[in-house]
Amino acid sequence: MKIIEASAGALTNFELLDLLRSRGAGKDASRAIATVSQSEFKVFDYLEGTVACNQTREIIDNFVAECQKFDLAKAEILNIVNIRPRNEPELFPLIEECESRMEDKAEELVETITRILPPHPSQVDEANEEAAEGEEEETEPEQAAEGEGDGEGQEEEEETEP
Amino acid sequence: MFFLSEIEHTLMLPPHLLNRPLDEAIKEQLDLIFLDKVSLSLSLSLSLYFLHLLTYTLLADSYFLVKFRLVMFRPFVGEIITARLKESTVDGLRLSLGFFDDIYVPVPFLFSPNRNEPVPGHRNRVNWIWNYMDEDYSVDAEDEIMFKVHDVSYPPIPLEPKDVKPFAPMVVTALLHGGGDLGVKHLDCGEGSIV
Repeated sequence: MKIIEASAGALTNFELLDLLRSRGAGKDASRAIATVSQSEFKVFDYLEGTVACNQTREIIDNFVAECQKFDLAKAEILNIVNIRPRNEPELFPLIEECESRMEDKAEELVETITRILPPHPSQVDEANEEAAEGEEEETEPEQAAEGEGDGEGQEEEEETEP
Repeated sequence: MFFLSEIEHTLMLPPHLLNRPLDEAIKEQLDLIFLDKVSLSLSLSLSLYFLHLLTYTLLADSYFLVKFRLVMFRPFVGEIITARLKESTVDGLRLSLGFFDDIYVPVPFLFSPNRNEPVPGHRNRVNWIWNYMDEDYSVDAEDEIMFKVHDVSYPPIPLEPKDVKPFAPMVVTALLHGGGDLGVKHLDCGEGSIV
């Protein structure tokens, strides 16, 4: 066995996820017949739980292009694409000497990140749930007058409100 | 944490595989040899990345010279990764990525100030609790933990079986504090702030 090139290119989480998907990995029953091994499936499951599950090649290319003006190292861009920090405190650990290098551009970088890179589905769900709860509170009195089927659903919702 | 490595290897195909499509048979053999093992410039190899780069030449009999690329897993020092809690003992935390379990956060690298409480009924387990701004946050099994890679080490293979734990050929040491807000991300925190 000979190593021709030990590091032929770094991969973002998305690229590996894309590779596994193209080999047939999926979250549904197609698992049994896909040509993907058990250990590869564990990687797939892990990656589907990260923000990589919603990314596309275009999104990442677009993001890297926009990052040119921030003078970031490749490893830092990789970390950002993999983690998708949502605000400045989340961004700080990813960038070396963040305060001195970024100064006031950190906010702009966070804005670029949240604009271009999609969030994880669970974060989107949380945001939608909060918005939906707000709407339900307003329309509850109307629904209370309706049929029995809705009653149980409403009781559950009331219990889970913080 | 993933990168590609280009490898050249001489492979012998056992006779019972010779009547199968070559691509498949070769891939299977390569999987057996490389998949999920720590080797080759010290990384965990994950998957075969074929593209059009898989070439093979028949040398003699059933020997093939195979050239291919492998996807390797080796986090670099300073990388930020999210993982789940696997074990919590007095020595610190053990984290898991699903496909890789040997990530340890020794006590000095935990969030501080902290304290631990033993879990009743389990001899070695403790719950680690972080006291931040006068509030206690405990690390639960469902939390996503974001850590920074401090070190990747490869302990030498033991000659005699030492203890019950299976040998870990690659160990990642992680740290939770320092340089910003790493730590436990509570999934039910609506605004998404890291606690």
